[in-house]
Amino acid sequence: MDMKVKGSKELLTEVIDAGLCTLCGACAGGCPYLVSYKGRAVLLDDCTLSEGQCYRYCPRTYTDMDAVSQQVFGMPYSGDELGAVKEIFLARSVDKEIHERGQDGGTVTALLSVALAEGIIEGVIETKMDDDKIPQGFVARSREELLECSGVSYEPSPVLEALNHLPRESTEKLGIVGLPCHVAAVAKMKTYPPQNRVNIDNVKLVVGLLCGWSLANGFHQFLQQNFDLPRVTKFDIPHHPGHTFDVYTKSDKESVELDEIRQYINNACSYCLDMTAEFADISIGSGRAKFKGWNTVIVRTDAGAELIKLAKAKHVLETQPTPVESVTNLKRAALNKKKRALNNIIAKTGDKNDLLYVGLREDILDNLLA
Amino acid sequence: MAGIDIDAPGTTELFIGNEAIARGALEAGIGFAAAYPGTPSTEIMESLASVAKKMNFYAEWSVNEKVAFETAAGASFAGIRAITAMKQNGVNVISDFLANLVVSGIGAGLVLVSCDDPSAISSSNEQDTRNIAKWLDIPLLEPGTFQEAKDMTKWAFDLAEELDTICMIRSVTRIAHARGNVTLGELPRKEHKAHFDEIASFTPTLTKFAPVLSAWKHQQLHAKLDKAQEIFEPSPFNWYRGPDKAELLIITCGSCWLYSLEAVNALKLESKVGILKLGTIWPLPQKLIEKHLSKSQKILVVEEIDPFLEGSIKELVADLPPASPHPTFYGKRSGHINAFGELNPDMVIEAIARIMDITYESRPAEYSKKAEEVPLTYMPPRLMTFCSGCPHRATFWAIKNALRLDGRDGFVTGDIGCYSMALGPAGFCQVRTMYCMGAGAGIASGLGKLGQFGFKQPVLAVCGDSTFFHATIPALINGIYNQSNFTLIILDNNATAMTGFQPHPGTGMTAMEEPTKVVSMDTLCASLGVPVEVCDPFDLKNTTETLLKAMSKDGIKVVIMRRECELVRARREKKPLYKVHVDPDKCLGEACGCDRLCTRVFGCLGLEWDKEAGKAKIDETVCAGCGVCADICPQGAIIKEAV
Repeated sequence: MDMKVKGSKELLTEVIDAGLCTLCGACAGGCPYLVSYKGRAVLLDDCTLSEGQCYRYCPRTYTDMDAVSQQVFGMPYSGDELGAVKEIFLARSVDKEIHERGQDGGTVTALLSVALAEGIIEGVIETKMDDDKIPQGFVARSREELLECSGVSYEPSPVLEALNHLPRESTEKLGIVGLPCHVAAVAKMKTYPPQNRVNIDNVKLVVGLLCGWSLANGFHQFLQQNFDLPRVTKFDIPHHPGHTFDVYTKSDKESVELDEIRQYINNACSYCLDMTAEFADISIGSGRAKFKGWNTVIVRTDAGAELIKLAKAKHVLETQPTPVESVTNLKRAALNKKKRALNNIIAKTGDKNDLLYVGLREDILDNLLA
Repeated sequence: MAGIDIDAPGTTELFIGNEAIARGALEAGIGFAAAYPGTPSTEIMESLASVAKKMNFYAEWSVNEKVAFETAAGASFAGIRAITAMKQNGVNVISDFLANLVVSGIGAGLVLVSCDDPSAISSSNEQDTRNIAKWLDIPLLEPGTFQEAKDMTKWAFDLAEELDTICMIRSVTRIAHARGNVTLGELPRKEHKAHFDEIASFTPTLTKFAPVLSAWKHQQLHAKLDKAQEIFEPSPFNWYRGPDKAELLIITCGSCWLYSLEAVNALKLESKVGILKLGTIWPLPQKLIEKHLSKSQKILVVEEIDPFLEGSIKELVADLPPASPHPTFYGKRSGHINAFGELNPDMVIEAIARIMDITYESRPAEYSKKAEEVPLTYMPPRLMTFCSGCPHRATFWAIKNALRLDGRDGFVTGDIGCYSMALGPAGFCQVRTMYCMGAGAGIASGLGKLGQFGFKQPVLAVCGDSTFFHATIPALINGIYNQSNFTLIILDNNATAMTGFQPHPGTGMTAMEEPTKVVSMDTLCASLGVPVEVCDPFDLKNTTETLLKAMSKDGIKVVIMRRECELVRARREKKPLYKVHVDPDKCLGEACGCDRLCTRVFGCLGLEWDKEAGKAKIDETVCAGCGVCADICPQGAIIKEAV
């Protein structure tokens, strides 16, 4: 893919129609032309601009990893499996309500509640599912609103459309919770600050979620046909040795074989190298089967470290060390995702020198392709 | 300017052709007039309706041309002189009834006026309705002047009664809408008395008013035409002007009479070129034509749209005795006269000059060049568009967005009305088919049955409120009956807007400005058992969502876009809905985040692009204050304030 910044038509042909779009929403809502609708990025009219921010911030247009890493961490991209890491540990919310409504240990909601309560941030850009469980971007400004956002939607969520919708004169301090694709787009925004949009420096905290893939390609129709969605309270895919997709209602739990779900895996995710949201301040995932009810936490920046410190001091989070073996497994999984994605990209382009959006140094590439 | 009912016989008034025709009908003592509006015919009925009460006759806007014609025929059957008027497309709509009516004959005088639109200036097609007179054996007159438009109409009623058949008058745009002197005749003041006399007595007899024994009656009809020809031979509506022996004989009719006269005068060929102007077009006055054919060996036929006279006169010539001179014909077939579009005096000059091998420059070449350049230099290019504040622009904005969001390549089947403009950028090119009244829903009904062949695209059929009553209802019912899939969108702006805001069954008002029962399209559609939603198109968000919801469901759905025509509202309320302005500090203009959405894409005439400032602004002289642009501006830079 070209390193040049292009316009919306090229975004349509090179990313959306090419099957690379993860529906992060970075292109949407910042102009009248691109919007997200029911799992698709839609171009409503022809925009004639040859260079657009839609193209610039898309995590699937050319991304100079060194430049972005330099902006976020003050150093070039390391190429390590888990990205920049200050510390890794296990954590869970002390608050029972958060713990119950959140995924795994409820660490994300707990941390953001503290950040909101302490005025580190004033709003959180998050995914919220509507009654029909369609995920959308949402700005949560209170603990109650955060709780409304807790729980994972496995469908692509155009979270960043909500960021782009904010008035450009807003000075509200923001946190963002997103998947690796959302986090990468925000990192690109930090590297090349947007114009005519809200100041990206308002974003004080980026919480990344560990991610293997999302479910698209008619997955929502599958849900609609099989479940009474307004009654659903939570989705979950318990970790190995689990092999189910679980759908909870207030009183009940139904399970679908994971193999039945796999057909809906978003093909665009197969070209993603990032499992751990490497450009976040803090990345959070499941504690996996061994530590059910806990979250794995990767702290990457000073801002992230300070929030953890505060959360511990306020006694909203309890932590324990992650065993070395678990870290090794996590690294292996992250590395495998990178290798698999690179091979998928090369299979798609048919050219080892055309890696689509991936702007990695040669030494890192050589290691991954070895 | 006097109305058509001025009671001043012998004085001269300036009338447009349509008014002259209406005046002729008044002088003929009509008791009944019915029509469906259609340019260029509309003013005939409008001017009649405006004086109907005063002149003690009845006038109505009917739901469509066929019904209008049938109501007029009903009046005729009961002994009341009746007239119906329509544009060329209307003649197609009435053709079934017309073809049967000619078999039976009529009661009191019944006249059909057809206004053709050469160059299709205000029409979907260019069609010469003279052909239907020949096809169905109908006596046909065509006025060449405004005086004739009045006089012929009056006479057509006498003729119809004398022949016991409907008579037809063909007019064209330049007669219908141009203005000329008309010397008035007497206005009859007799009381109309209606009674249907064809009641079977104790001895059962067959009624006159049915097409039965049709082959025999066809023969009778031919006899009527033979009689018409006899009457036409000495008619004062046919005349010859020119030398006894001419180098060239022009045969012409209608508006082309004046073009021909002007051409001959301009070329100063009055002593060499003769003009035979015909007013009785079908059946042709054969003897008169044969007499004049001998005047020249060169015949130029000047007429608009089809070579009707040309072909018919050639048929006459083919029947002449072998010894007779067979002149050379020039016209549409020879390429001397355009076989399509309107004519003008220059075109006739060119044809004469070619035939007579003379050079004539209507104006210096340098002047012509300048004249062609001026409009390109000083006049901005103009597209067909919606008025500022038109609800249709908002509707098609919502349709466009809904179709894009839906993402299944859905499309619009359009219909005839202001919203036909949505073929072009005014409606974001959303209309993908457009034919005739009611065809949008009919085509959609067919498309909606193609599921078994893999057709998955949503279809939105669009029609206006008047079009809904005119011809859409049968197609809607067809779709419901046959379990088709489409969404019918009725653009209800409470007027037959394109032809000049005439009332229709949904408006609660008649042609004679009497309040009447509102025929509710909402209730009608709901009674058919289909879901009906009503939207305000100015509420873009709700309209888009309603359309998306309708498209997501199978079957027939009706969405009514209800918002009064802005021109009707503005005339009544005389003030805009909102005062609208652009905040230049907020306007992004050409930058990323806008790219001039309002002036480049939305394209309302009230929005201007200030090149120097690089900002949008409101043209206050044009802006109607609908405020819709305030909702499409991504920056909230367009501000609407309640007036």
